[in-house]
Amino acid sequence: MSGKASSSQSTTGFGSGGLSHVYIQHQPLHCSIRGSRGLFYDDGTKLLISTTSNQVISWKTVPFSPFANPTTDSISEGPILAVRFSLDEKLIAVQRSNSEIQFWLRETGEAFNQKCKSESESILGFFWTDCPLCDIVVIKNSGLDLYAFDLVSKTLILVETRKLNVSWYVYTHESRLVLLASGMQCKTFNGFQLSSAGIIRLPKFEMVIAKSEANSKPVLADEDVFIVTIYGRIYCLQIDRISMLLHCYRFYRDAVVQQGSLPIYSSKVAISVVDNVLLVHQVDAKVVILYDIFSDSQTPISAPLPVLLRGLPRSNSLTSQSNGGESESSETSNTNDHETIIYGDDWKFLVPDLICDVANKLLWKIHIDLEAIAASSSEVPSVLEFLQRRKLEANKAKQLCLAITRTVILECRPVPMVAKAMDAIVSSYSLSIKTGSFFKGIKVERSLTGVPNVNSTGSGTDVPTSRTDGLGKSIKYESNSRYNSGLVNRSSSYSASDSEDNGSSEPLKTISDNTPEAQPSSLQSQPPGPINNLVNPNVSEQQETQLATPAISPDEMYKFVFAAVEEEMVEEPSYLVAILLEFLRSANVEKVKVHPNIYVLTIQLLACSDRYAELGLFIINKILEPSKEVAFQLLELGRENLQTRKLGLDMLRQLSLHHDYVLLLVQDGYYLEALRYVRKHKVTGVRPLLFLEAAFASNDSQHLAAVLRFFSDFIPGFQSTTDFCAYHRVLGEMNGTITV
Amino acid sequence: MGLASVNPSSEGLQLCIFDLRRGQHEGQELDKILFFYPADLPFSTQLSVTGLSEGLITFTRIFSPEAACEVIEAERHSHVFYEPEPDIWMVMVVEKSKEAEAIWRTDALREVLKEVHSLFMMFHGSIRALLDKEPGGGLTRSHLYPFVMDYLRAFRKRSPWDKCCWDIFSGKKLQLPSFHDCLNERRTVQMLTVGREAAIEVQTLVRTLESSAGNTHCFSLILFQDLLVSSTLPPEDTINLFTYAVLRLTPRALSSGVSSWSYLRKGYSSSQVAGGSTFAHSGSVAEQFSGSVAEQFSGSCDTSSGDDRYRVVRPLQNDRWSKGKDGFLITDIWGTEVGDLDLATPTVWLKHTEARMYLCAYQYKSLTVIFLIPVNSILNGEQGVSMEKQKFLENASLKILKVEEKLSKGWGGENAYHVSGYRYLLVDSNRAISRASPAGKVTTLTKESLLALHMLRDEVDLEKGKNKWDHKAHDKDLEMCIRAKNNAWVIARITGGKELYMVLEKANEKLLYASDAVEKFSDRYCNGAFSLD
Repeated sequence: MSGKASSSQSTTGFGSGGLSHVYIQHQPLHCSIRGSRGLFYDDGTKLLISTTSNQVISWKTVPFSPFANPTTDSISEGPILAVRFSLDEKLIAVQRSNSEIQFWLRETGEAFNQKCKSESESILGFFWTDCPLCDIVVIKNSGLDLYAFDLVSKTLILVETRKLNVSWYVYTHESRLVLLASGMQCKTFNGFQLSSAGIIRLPKFEMVIAKSEANSKPVLADEDVFIVTIYGRIYCLQIDRISMLLHCYRFYRDAVVQQGSLPIYSSKVAISVVDNVLLVHQVDAKVVILYDIFSDSQTPISAPLPVLLRGLPRSNSLTSQSNGGESESSETSNTNDHETIIYGDDWKFLVPDLICDVANKLLWKIHIDLEAIAASSSEVPSVLEFLQRRKLEANKAKQLCLAITRTVILECRPVPMVAKAMDAIVSSYSLSIKTGSFFKGIKVERSLTGVPNVNSTGSGTDVPTSRTDGLGKSIKYESNSRYNSGLVNRSSSYSASDSEDNGSSEPLKTISDNTPEAQPSSLQSQPPGPINNLVNPNVSEQQETQLATPAISPDEMYKFVFAAVEEEMVEEPSYLVAILLEFLRSANVEKVKVHPNIYVLTIQLLACSDRYAELGLFIINKILEPSKEVAFQLLELGRENLQTRKLGLDMLRQLSLHHDYVLLLVQDGYYLEALRYVRKHKVTGVRPLLFLEAAFASNDSQHLAAVLRFFSDFIPGFQSTTDFCAYHRVLGEMNGTITV
Repeated sequence: MGLASVNPSSEGLQLCIFDLRRGQHEGQELDKILFFYPADLPFSTQLSVTGLSEGLITFTRIFSPEAACEVIEAERHSHVFYEPEPDIWMVMVVEKSKEAEAIWRTDALREVLKEVHSLFMMFHGSIRALLDKEPGGGLTRSHLYPFVMDYLRAFRKRSPWDKCCWDIFSGKKLQLPSFHDCLNERRTVQMLTVGREAAIEVQTLVRTLESSAGNTHCFSLILFQDLLVSSTLPPEDTINLFTYAVLRLTPRALSSGVSSWSYLRKGYSSSQVAGGSTFAHSGSVAEQFSGSVAEQFSGSCDTSSGDDRYRVVRPLQNDRWSKGKDGFLITDIWGTEVGDLDLATPTVWLKHTEARMYLCAYQYKSLTVIFLIPVNSILNGEQGVSMEKQKFLENASLKILKVEEKLSKGWGGENAYHVSGYRYLLVDSNRAISRASPAGKVTTLTKESLLALHMLRDEVDLEKGKNKWDHKAHDKDLEMCIRAKNNAWVIARITGGKELYMVLEKANEKLLYASDAVEKFSDRYCNGAFSLD
């Protein structure tokens, strides 16, 4: 792509030098602790948790920073099967055995236990929820237990029990969706969504597994099923190892619909979602394939390529991206670095976009390389559409879009293709205007980075956190809605083109709202989902990312594309006109207002190739909408072409720009016509001197007398002005010479 | 005046084209004449017409070397002069008959002459060039004769909505533009009014055509029904091609062709044209100078004839265009390629660029797309053209579909531009565009109103003519308002190069009413162009 694209162009070259679309940025978050016994990731609070025999050490992963300081909590000794912080981070829940969960109040250190009632039951897992009914959900082999936490009595109160056979379960906080597997092959699923809007039970459904032989009955395991959230929609991906396919299901409130399958090339597959791009890691093949599951298209965005480790200090001592001040610390920590093995056996993929190297105790964040993706595809319109959907690095995506557009124009690529590119850009802008994200962008960004800083309870990090330390649900709710303003925009900005999701633009729906179109995805937009989606997790780039959307306004199109390429397109004015027309067509379809400077440019281009007849057609048909700027451009060209001047004059008249019109009439010598116009439209503030001079210049005493007479009637007190006196005398002399 | 010596033909019209540079010596006067209608007039009569004309031209040039005489009004005849090329003159002599029908407006008649010549230029190049090519004059005569005859034959009303074909030979009489046509303006184009969205769509189609041609400089012309939608040609060429398209290429022109196609098959038409008595005679006239033109001419009609001395194409011939399977319009007028079954692609000369262009016309429903490709940009002849056509189909056919749909949706029908209560003609002479009340509506006017308007236009023509010589760059505003005998208002207004003529029948007798009516019309349909007062 063009070198103008962005500052990070220079980074493309680093790292191991390989080609990639996905990369992990050095350096990772080190989470090695002496005496560590286990490493957990709590996706509800986005905390990476390491445990020792009597301590829980946690790192914030949002926003992602390799220098996040850990927080340590002491607990009593004992086995730890799972750890999860409550969503407000006031409680720590530790699963001690398959029948017992222990809770700590972090402030006081008080603890209490919760055990299964019957011996036959065993706990498979648990998670905290922001569902108004309950605070914690415990999944047992016999079903779900929903508990509310009573702060006063420090006990859990059982709110509801759902009896079901459960073999294993999958849950992501992002989707608020828990899938419970049952049956011999574990392919029958019950699903619940526990969101702040309440509990929704999904219809029971079965997943598809191919059989290798007639009698074999492959069993689905929990590592074969992934819940992913893309564009605010919830999907489930299921590995079918026999047919080597990744089946894709989409969840609606009242249905689960299979949406096709993606091929896989590895028996071990992992899934990540970065900025709504689906990453299918073919672990054995050590490559990743990217999909943009936006439309029905299931073609990959790009060819399979490995993940790249970027920014290793030894290869880029000079080009360290922007944190020059931190280079010292990075070098010191570098000494402890182990050789990172891409797709090593110890890699664990965390929802949605983290990789944990369990053996080396490293946490990496996955990034997608927009430039590389853009560069690898020649399908410009689809690349633009793809980039316009990116929110995480909106600024970069925007710069890339501008650069790509400039390039296709400069290269004089076929008009239909550029037309599609224009469509992509304009429709994206139109959407961002409709949803308000185009203007909100900067505001939302600031409130997100600013407000939580005040709320954060000084955990010792100087990294701005976007977590809220709400004291209760009401506050939390409030903060939800604030985040939602961003989130809703995000999801609804896609809804227009995806009619199914129309409901998603309504924030904070209650459970009583059971419109048939309302689907889980619509509820998805309500919980305070992954906040980091709005804040750029890469601290070093945070300053430059001020945009919420890569949408490009017509003004920016003019400034950064059309005006920028104009000089270099002198040879091909008609091509550029064709492109401008396509842009106007798109803008007209999307009802986007176009600034007159684009019209003015079009006029100039037509004029410089001497196509005045066509220019006239453009004006008459209002392809170039009338405006003062356009009119003056026409008048200027009128020096070359009289017809064009007339068009400009007509436009001034139609725009009721009386003063300019009258002045021009006088200039052209039509001073009597101008006077008539002045009288008809009651134009005030005209300077009689101009008319008098014009009449005098025509050397016609009758005309001069008429002008004098007109102003005597039209302007009260004109007869006492010096102008009147002077020209009255002149008139007298003129008549005198005639009589003499 | 001694005009009686000009033996009036029974048809009341004489039309001749002559070259002042030829036949300078006594006894060779006949050599001047390049075309004469009717051809069966005795040479003496022909010579007396040209002689008189030449005399007048020479005489008036003494006073006005730039522009010699334009018209002579005699007691029984009007002579309309037009000098299309230096020293080449076209003179039309019309009889002033007692019948009211024979009331001519000389400017309208001159427009006819201009049109013949412009069309001739478009297809054959200038007369002078032909004369230079073959000083004997045979080539020129063999081109001019069939062309002008075809033109006169093809003469039909230019008003797009008029159903009746204006056959100039209807009965025995030539139907020249008379007072009935005073709400018409020849040598202008009629445009379709389109909304912004459709206009953009049309223009993107135009750009698609342009870009599909690559680097060669192509032109395009798009018509919907008989109305122009877009043209990338300069105004003059646009008018010529538009005129031809409306005559021969638009769906209406094609369908009228189809109806008489059967007539032609019966074998009358072609033989009539080729071997008609008038023509045969002209052939014998021409023979004196250039051998058997008649043979050449009839030979050219019959493409099987091999040894034409001059291969004369007759682009105005009726019923020779039809729509091919691929949507392109085809004709055998330009003959067939040697050793090829494909029909040759028509070519035209552009006045502006003086380049010879292939003319390809594509039709989809009511939409006719004409595009012109420079002949010198295509090296391998017909093969190259058909490749261009293929490219055209690939690139543009979808767009054409879309544009046709858009335009049809916005199309108001034949009477789309009818304004109730008004019978009008709106001419934008800056852009050579005109619009008029639909012909069907004009026929409801009484003869008196039409005659009044006719007179008014004559007056306006006179004023315009004066003005032209007075202030060359300065547009003069003009307003005339006449109360006709039948209590109709007949109004003319000219401002800034735009002309508005209208007839208001059954109107209130106050002048204020008339000017209000104009004002209203101007505000609503002309963006207030005529409401300066």
